[in-house]
Amino acid sequence: MSVLFVAAAVFLTGCASVYVDTATKEVAEADIKRPATAIPAALVFDFQTNGAPNARVTQALKDQVTAQVHKTGIFQLTSGDAAGKGALLTITLNNVPITKDAAQQGFVTGLTFGLAGSAVTDGYICTVTYVPADGSSTVVATAKHAIHTTLGNASAPANAVKSASIEEGVRTMTRQIVANALRDLSTNPQLK
Amino acid sequence: MKTTLVKLFALASVVLFTGCAQLTMGTPQPTAENTTNLKRANLAETRLGSFTLEAGKPAQMDKGHSLRGANTVQAPTNGSFAEYVRESLRVELAAAGLLDPKADAVISGVLLDSQLDPSMGTGKGSIQVRFTVTKGTEKRYEKALTARSEWESSFMGAVAIPAAAQHYEGLYRKLVGQLIADPDFRKALAK
Repeated sequence: MSVLFVAAAVFLTGCASVYVDTATKEVAEADIKRPATAIPAALVFDFQTNGAPNARVTQALKDQVTAQVHKTGIFQLTSGDAAGKGALLTITLNNVPITKDAAQQGFVTGLTFGLAGSAVTDGYICTVTYVPADGSSTVVATAKHAIHTTLGNASAPANAVKSASIEEGVRTMTRQIVANALRDLSTNPQLK
Repeated sequence: MKTTLVKLFALASVVLFTGCAQLTMGTPQPTAENTTNLKRANLAETRLGSFTLEAGKPAQMDKGHSLRGANTVQAPTNGSFAEYVRESLRVELAAAGLLDPKADAVISGVLLDSQLDPSMGTGKGSIQVRFTVTKGTEKRYEKALTARSEWESSFMGAVAIPAAAQHYEGLYRKLVGQLIADPDFRKALAK
């Protein structure tokens, strides 16, 4: 039912507010470990909803994620029919329901969760996987994030930053979660 | 379920702007799991043959599924689910560097069944495809594989319809994953 209320609020009265959780923070460029030579790899980005592919959101965020990966300097993105004989880099962003203890699940800080009734929280899991050309020694990094949506006069959640719009919130969340996963991938000694 | 953003998008696009919707599945993409499995399997290069609906089956089975009334889900591959199977397999083989238009081995497929039920409560979907691998005149592999999925299906059509389309699309990756993992398939394409 929460979705019905949120939808009604957003589209009929415009009184929903979107907050990006602050447990997952921005990543400084200095925290990215860049190889001497960027690693050639084809990039595949996939947005999922409960593990099922979501083509529309994938399309909406694909350019942003591609530009972000390119900017890190870790990979030299190859185009064409995926990796072919080369390496493959996949980034999956899965929107999952948060049921009980979001803090314990690592999505938010302890103070943020517990918003009652008038708020919903969406969880996100980003999985970055590097598959080398020969398929050996796959390197994986993951990160989690959350977006809170409140209705009406509900108080703002603690440890969250209000976004001007849903799109801005999603793009901010995407930038932060992908950056965190890429940073962890870059510092993995197995990434060569 | 609290996948709010997607549901909001669904509500906006389906309920507020249109009375019905034609949902087109996304372009197939390779997955890390399938590509890794293919790269590690040490398979010979292959090419793809025809992927068609089984003779005698209703043509609509290949074209689209109704989702609670006038809403439908369809494939971007010439409006054919059989061709969507082919494309789903093609991108995985290409990502693993195993696609060669001059290869001796040919993988073909016949869509035997396709079901999608977005009823309230539990949504259900399944696809069944008979895959064949031939090398010259020799048939090296023939097996019907089935991928099934169940999911929580909302009473609200605006939520349930896109969810059903997404889960149905996911069946194709799942099916290709089953094929790639099949020891008999690997044996048929072994170097």
